[in-house]
Amino acid sequence: MRPRQVSRRPQFTTALNLGRKHRPDYWLLILCAVLLSIGLIVVYAISPALTAAQHVKGGYYVSKQLLAIGLSIIAFIVTAQVPLNWWRRAYKPLLIAAMGATLLALALPVNPAYPAHRWVRLGSLSFQSVELLKFAVLVWLAGFLAGRIRDNSITDVSKTLKPLLYALLAIGVVVAGVQSDLGSTGVVVAMMGTMAFVAGLPLKRVFQIGGIILIGLILAVSISPYRRDRLETYLHPEANCKSSGYQACQALIAVGSGGVIGLGLGSSVQAYGYLPEAANDSIFAIYAEKFGFIGSVALLAVFVAFFARLKSIAERSDDDFTRLLVIGVLAWLSVQTLVNVGAMIGLLPLKGITLPFISYGGTSVVFTAAAVGLVFQASQYTSFQVPRASNAPDQPAPGAGQRRRPTGAVRRLDYS
Amino acid sequence: MMAPQDTTKIVGRIRLWYGLLVLVIAVFGVRLFYMQVIRYGHYKNAALSDQLKQYQIPAMRGSISAHDGDRTVPIVLNQQLYTLYADPVYVKNKTKSAAKIASAIGGNPNTYTSLMSTKNTRYVILAKKLNEAQSKSLLALKLPGIGTQAQNYRIYPQGQLAAQVLGFVDNDGNGEYGVEQALNKQLAGRPGEVKAVTDVNGIPLAASKGNVERSAKDGSDITTTLNLSMQAQMEKILASEYQKTKSQELSAIIMDPTNGAIKAMANYPTYDPNNYQDVSSPKLFQNASVTNAIEPGSSMKVLTTAAALDMGVIKPNTTFYDPAHWVIDGFNITDIEEDGGARTQNIASLLNLSLNTGATWELMQMGGGQINQKARDAWHDYMVNRYRLGKPTGVEQGSRNYEATGLIPPPDDDGAAINLTYAETSFGQAVQITALQMAAADSAMLNGGTYYQPRLVDSVTSSAGQTTYVKPKVLKKNVVSPKVSQEMVPLMEYVVQQHRQEGFSYLNFSPDYIVGGKTGTAQVAKPGGGYSDTQFNGTYVGFVGGDQPQYVVVVYNIKPGVAGYAGSYGGQPVFSDIAHMLIDNSFVAPKTH
Repeated sequence: MRPRQVSRRPQFTTALNLGRKHRPDYWLLILCAVLLSIGLIVVYAISPALTAAQHVKGGYYVSKQLLAIGLSIIAFIVTAQVPLNWWRRAYKPLLIAAMGATLLALALPVNPAYPAHRWVRLGSLSFQSVELLKFAVLVWLAGFLAGRIRDNSITDVSKTLKPLLYALLAIGVVVAGVQSDLGSTGVVVAMMGTMAFVAGLPLKRVFQIGGIILIGLILAVSISPYRRDRLETYLHPEANCKSSGYQACQALIAVGSGGVIGLGLGSSVQAYGYLPEAANDSIFAIYAEKFGFIGSVALLAVFVAFFARLKSIAERSDDDFTRLLVIGVLAWLSVQTLVNVGAMIGLLPLKGITLPFISYGGTSVVFTAAAVGLVFQASQYTSFQVPRASNAPDQPAPGAGQRRRPTGAVRRLDYS
Repeated sequence: MMAPQDTTKIVGRIRLWYGLLVLVIAVFGVRLFYMQVIRYGHYKNAALSDQLKQYQIPAMRGSISAHDGDRTVPIVLNQQLYTLYADPVYVKNKTKSAAKIASAIGGNPNTYTSLMSTKNTRYVILAKKLNEAQSKSLLALKLPGIGTQAQNYRIYPQGQLAAQVLGFVDNDGNGEYGVEQALNKQLAGRPGEVKAVTDVNGIPLAASKGNVERSAKDGSDITTTLNLSMQAQMEKILASEYQKTKSQELSAIIMDPTNGAIKAMANYPTYDPNNYQDVSSPKLFQNASVTNAIEPGSSMKVLTTAAALDMGVIKPNTTFYDPAHWVIDGFNITDIEEDGGARTQNIASLLNLSLNTGATWELMQMGGGQINQKARDAWHDYMVNRYRLGKPTGVEQGSRNYEATGLIPPPDDDGAAINLTYAETSFGQAVQITALQMAAADSAMLNGGTYYQPRLVDSVTSSAGQTTYVKPKVLKKNVVSPKVSQEMVPLMEYVVQQHRQEGFSYLNFSPDYIVGGKTGTAQVAKPGGGYSDTQFNGTYVGFVGGDQPQYVVVVYNIKPGVAGYAGSYGGQPVFSDIAHMLIDNSFVAPKTH
């Protein structure tokens, strides 16, 4: 090994520590399909309400969502088939593409209905730049942190912490500051924090960064009247029902009025113009109105089952990049789920982000599928067992601590 | 190749992180339980307070008709007209829209533009009372934010006809004054109601359970007892006599004495209910025939005479010595100078000469020769319990306390010259009586002695098409005996004939008919007490008929500016005009024998 080269481009010269390829985790696909179907059914059920309000044809929302699902299947196949090592090395073009998309979103004229510069519009195609950014950061950070683990510099301030902080700062300024998208910023930051935490960043540093983010958050809220308003709304949604708290309040009403068993699939009332963004950000509230407490808990259970698969794949991954990638996807999708659902049930402020798989909206579905594609590929390289902690302090017993198959059987993938 | 402890540490951190995730989701589950199970009622109520909307479907107000020959003619109708409104938020090009509106329905485009520029509102009225064609031409322009709304208006195709009897309907759809107010509930019907879970724009969601719908019940159609032709011609007479007699207010009633039905009732001046909002004095809305109780003067003497006849204390041919003045409670009761002083008189001349001393003598006969408690009690019983004076008649006019009660002094000695007061009541002073009370009392006196409640409603036709005829309501039987009724007819005829011979040549009625009457020239009480020497009210009660009285007519002429007695010169000519009108139009059946 040539140290200089390693320090400069570690990812490119080392192979991934993948085991033998085996049967992928089909449960992952089944759970995704279940979630996507639930989303599609809800969008279908409320599309009369949506189309009536928007003066579009009957099948507009369902056909657009089906198109998005079609695109997301393509995205899934691409990320699941193109080898992980290739993705690891593609972080740079991905970051550049994400930055380009973000700049484009800032430069292009905005839709007056959604005044934030969050969308890239090219002809009839449009997507939210931040979704690409999440994906790019995920891939870059997994590779970056895996490299730091390998050269044992994960605790190094200048090698690990500084680049992380710069990245956080850049995202904070652009996404939270300029695009005013505190929700997506939260998701990206939570994803980065989780990956760094899992990668072994010292707890001291974690708390330091957490403190900095907290201060930044307080600053972000205090300088913007819009965000102060949202905070006030969050604290007292039902007192501001007719003004700034309208959406929060209507979401609570939708969820609460669902009762134990819900109003039934075709019987949502709140979708008829009362609750804004009924198919997108507020879809959980509509779902909860339709299916009640039982349905809501069942949906959360499906999400938990899905997250459990991701966790299990991450645990059983041999390779740090792969593991961090999976953890990143888990953090991304779970935090986004929590932020979305939390807002609908009044535990978190409204953030204007989608519920993964369920919400109507092409960009979210496509990039979620892309992320799941990476995990699906990773699920083909897991071990059967998780390392036991009792093995940890000692020298590894061959084949025990690292859950190895016979060395001869290990298929090393090296794309360098 | 990583160190094994790293892997363990990583897995540990993954588990720690995942544990936190599951914990948060569990908290969410608890929160959902709290919201959807424990606080379900609260959120359900909040949802319904937004989602459940209640609407009223307006009911069509019933029409009001009058008789015209054998048919009935609507005299109050509804017309659907259109209100043009704008929602300034949606109006695109205000100047252009205004120009298009102006070219479609006229009006000033600048006014429309400025109206459409009204801030902080979603509803501006641009024009009212447009007809259907105008509404259609406006809608054809398809201007964004501009629309028309159908609205029912009350129209009175006959204009002023019976205005004060009918009343009008205000902007809120409530009947005001007259029949419109008295029968508001029946005319208005019951609005329908829709209670439904709706979308945010208020459109009911068909899927929702528990929607309530009740269709509107249109108001009933009212057919009045009024005779259109009599009413119209009588109003014409009033307008003309109002000028001729320089009256301040002129009222007249034609009543069918056999059942209390009011055939015509009017006052002058009046107003046009189509433009009620232009009326400056609300007094014009009042039907003075039922709201204005005055001292009627000598026209009362027919009621006194009938009472005395009914008691048997006098006979139609009784003669008596008239001293030309009585001293009662230290005051003089006198007759007018032309009556020729003290001499023997009879009942007919009493009425013809309108002897105050004669009426006082009749009252004395009720007391056995003097005015005493017995006389007062007897006369009071006739006035209040039989002629039903001093009580509202209950005719279908206005609100509950709209009708004047009138005033009959109680018979008990109040220590303030009660006998003098009662002497005055015998010739129509010191009492207050409305024209309608007078007409009903005279009807009872002439029809054989049955007091029918005066009424304006002949039949009510429900929105389902079912017609209910109003039965005449007998409030008092044996007011006077049928014999007395028959005796009163020639006595009153005598008055008309004598007056004609004395120079009122317009009282020239065909011998095929019976026409009788009695004038009244009433002193007008001054606000501070006592009576005016210069102002009088002229009243007249009379009847027209063939074999028997077919119509009772009462005229109240308030302070006419005539030379001579107000009764003869202010009341009598109006009665005469009305009597001629009834005969000339063959409203009266002539004598058969």
